[in-house]
Amino acid sequence: MKNIKHSWAEPYKIKMVELLKMTSPSQRKKAMKEAGFNTFLLKSEDVYIDLLTDSGTSAMSDRQWAGMMMGDEAYAGSRNFYHLEEVVKEVYGYKYLIPTHQGRGAENILSKILIKKGDIIPGNMYFTTTRLHQELAGGKFEDIIIDEAHDSENEFSFKGNVDIEKLEKLIKKHGASKIPYVSIATSVNMAGGQPISIKNLKEVRAVTKKHGIRIIHDMTRVAENAFFIQQKEKGFSNKSIKSIVKEICSYTDGATMSAKKDALVNIGGFLAVNDWDVFEEARNMVVVYEGLHTYGGLAGRDMEAMAIGIGESVSDEHIKARVGQVIYLGEKMIEYGVPIVKPIGGHGIFVDAKKFLPHIPQDLFPAQTLASEIYLDSGVRTMERGVVSAGRKANGDNYYPKLELVRFTIPRRVYTQAHMDVIAESAASVYERRNKIKGLKMVYEPKYLRFFQARFEQL
Amino acid sequence: MKTIIEPFKIKSVEPIFFTTPEYRVEVLKNADYNPFLIHSNDVLIDLLTDSGTSAMSSDQWAGIMKGDESYAGSPSYFRFKDAVQDITHMPHVIPAHQGRAAEKILFSILGGKGKYFVSNTLFDTTRANIEYSGAEGVDFIGEAGKHPTIPAPFKGNMDVEALKAFIKEKGAANIPLCIITVTNNSGGGQPVSMGNIKAVKAVCQEHHIPLFIDACRFAENSYFIKLREPGYADISVKEIAQELFSHADGCTMSAKKDAFANIGGFLAMHDETLAQQCRNLLILTEGFPTYGGLAGRDLEAIAIGLKEVLDEHYLQYRIRSIEYITNKLEAAGVPVMLPAGGHAVYLDAKAFLDHIPVHQYPGQALVGALYLHGGIRAVEIGSLMFGKYNDQHELIPAALELVRLAIPRRVYTQSHIDYVSEVIIEVFEQRKAIKGLTIIEEAPTLRHFTAKLKPIQ
Repeated sequence: MKNIKHSWAEPYKIKMVELLKMTSPSQRKKAMKEAGFNTFLLKSEDVYIDLLTDSGTSAMSDRQWAGMMMGDEAYAGSRNFYHLEEVVKEVYGYKYLIPTHQGRGAENILSKILIKKGDIIPGNMYFTTTRLHQELAGGKFEDIIIDEAHDSENEFSFKGNVDIEKLEKLIKKHGASKIPYVSIATSVNMAGGQPISIKNLKEVRAVTKKHGIRIIHDMTRVAENAFFIQQKEKGFSNKSIKSIVKEICSYTDGATMSAKKDALVNIGGFLAVNDWDVFEEARNMVVVYEGLHTYGGLAGRDMEAMAIGIGESVSDEHIKARVGQVIYLGEKMIEYGVPIVKPIGGHGIFVDAKKFLPHIPQDLFPAQTLASEIYLDSGVRTMERGVVSAGRKANGDNYYPKLELVRFTIPRRVYTQAHMDVIAESAASVYERRNKIKGLKMVYEPKYLRFFQARFEQL
Repeated sequence: MKTIIEPFKIKSVEPIFFTTPEYRVEVLKNADYNPFLIHSNDVLIDLLTDSGTSAMSSDQWAGIMKGDESYAGSPSYFRFKDAVQDITHMPHVIPAHQGRAAEKILFSILGGKGKYFVSNTLFDTTRANIEYSGAEGVDFIGEAGKHPTIPAPFKGNMDVEALKAFIKEKGAANIPLCIITVTNNSGGGQPVSMGNIKAVKAVCQEHHIPLFIDACRFAENSYFIKLREPGYADISVKEIAQELFSHADGCTMSAKKDAFANIGGFLAMHDETLAQQCRNLLILTEGFPTYGGLAGRDLEAIAIGLKEVLDEHYLQYRIRSIEYITNKLEAAGVPVMLPAGGHAVYLDAKAFLDHIPVHQYPGQALVGALYLHGGIRAVEIGSLMFGKYNDQHELIPAALELVRLAIPRRVYTQSHIDYVSEVIIEVFEQRKAIKGLTIIEEAPTLRHFTAKLKPIQ
């Protein structure tokens, strides 16, 4: 953490505010019960500080709002599409663009095009929707992230790195023809927003190139990843975020993007590829699922906001303040003794629920329990990223992930330092009475992505 | 006072782009004679679609600013849900990023090989989604709907006898759903009567087939019922809409039409088990059930739009404007679909260009001519959109060769519309010079969006 200065300030001022609602402990108790002890099912009106996700929750800039007024809502050939296409080419370097209404829309199309039944997709840790799309297309995800990523106390700087040996073994075992692409996430979400280094990415590139395997980039938080490279990787301290972002993308063949994260918009995503054939197939498919290829299920204004947001997202000052705020919160929690994933990642603080509630076994959902306790304490809404999120294997058994985490995700440009103080204090006060906390039992379980809609009861 | 004025004034304007005929020749060539491939900056009056192209009201823009972007449980969702329920009275309301996404989810659950979806007429993306699931879509449009230039009050009505015979032939068990499209877009924006909906419902009920409404233009259809169906003249359009939905088990809606939104759609239904299945799939491709792949602000805009569209002054202005241009064209001898529909003028391209055979796509040829002559963008609804090939790769043409000039809601003024009719009349006068087209490249499904064509010399 030595290299990161604490004396950051926001490179913007506030132009418009949204009022918050305060709640009482008894109101929260009622609301949590009605929501089946699942923070996803809380009404946002009952939430004081909403850290459920950093996805789609950013505050847009006045320029983005001005862009919203410049939306060209033509069904075909909207000028906002051409602007977005130009920005994606300039900032990320990908040749062909297919807009989609969100990142998962891009994943759906990509998986359907590239994956055949029986294929293996290696990746640096799973993500819920990504893995499900791979599985539904007939593929199987294989984790090739380094072991350090599964150890919440290991302070290695690039815990998003790929274990090259694991990758090579997989290729040897299955053969390159069974591997349509390697999926590389920048700022690995499920590992706690941990970055991958350029050095590692280059090594992955060398291996895949040898075998003619594509790399597809899950690039939703690429700018945050670039910040860690700038701060911690040798030889990058004098490079701009913009140039690092472009370099990262240059080692990959295509990308899926949820623009609701880095790109500072409330809705939108895209699929970008360098390969004309994949592009052509995607362009025919996007019409069925999303919308014509020049709007992809987005209003013209949202493409404009995205084009402007992408530009803002790769500014050094923006990223420094963004990650600076996350680190401020994390260090406060460390001071209070709250066990969190280290090093602190780019988009949130991940509290280690196994260490926080060591007396609750994984079958009683310690992270789910902790998320509901935090809400009951202060009205702060967080998200479980543990056994509930991991779901079940094809044979019906639970996945038991090593990491059982509660994610405190920080929306971009929304909350102030005082809000961060309240959050840290709430985590500390729940930590003080941790021994009194009991687990939960699941009473409703949906078939897919159960964490969204599952319901629980207190033991 | 005979003149019907717009029940609004203009609050914000957007520039339009003037081009020269020589420039348009180049543009059309570069777009391979497909209007979907023209940049919107090169279009003067864009009548490609009324979908997502509406001008929102100041109230809707205020709603946009009020949107709550929480991932889960946003109050914008609850306002949206209330607005949908106020009209449909359906307990389960599921947002989606557009109508086709709602359809995709519904048909993934109900469709599959060997199944038949029956309808008055399915729209292009609806049909594509049904076929993608392996099922077949079958249209039973009533006799009146098959004759473009002969007026009748409810040309969107379904042929109830044909429906009965089909159920008898295929068995109700193989028919998971009946869909009534209001108004019937592919058939000229023609309305369906309440009597017809009731009759279809009775047949469906007898055979336990659920009835869904494709509700994109429910308000326009309800207004036609008020104007044309005996017994409804004194009932409010809102009550008519409520009755229309009361006969259905569910609906899909693209909010980009009658909800004045630029993006958005939804599914609503009574059946709880089906709703839960839909929500499970929704999460996969759309988003969490309280946002469905939409920004919170868009949910607000839809909620407000659903209220505004039921204003009878608005509907009177809307329907009257379409009638105005249709009558003008008819008076000049241009073959138009009669009577005027709810959202667009439909030219009968087969009669307009009677020297161009159907396998040379007269509709698409006319679309090109309108663009070249006046910078107007229209869309073909004929054999390019709905044609199929037989085993010998010969074209099986669509029943009608239409060109649709869809009028975006609240966007263009009367002088724009006068200009459009002048262009059409001039093109009609010079029609013999227009040449047919041949396809040089096409996609396997929904080919009209990306197909490349060239003129036959």
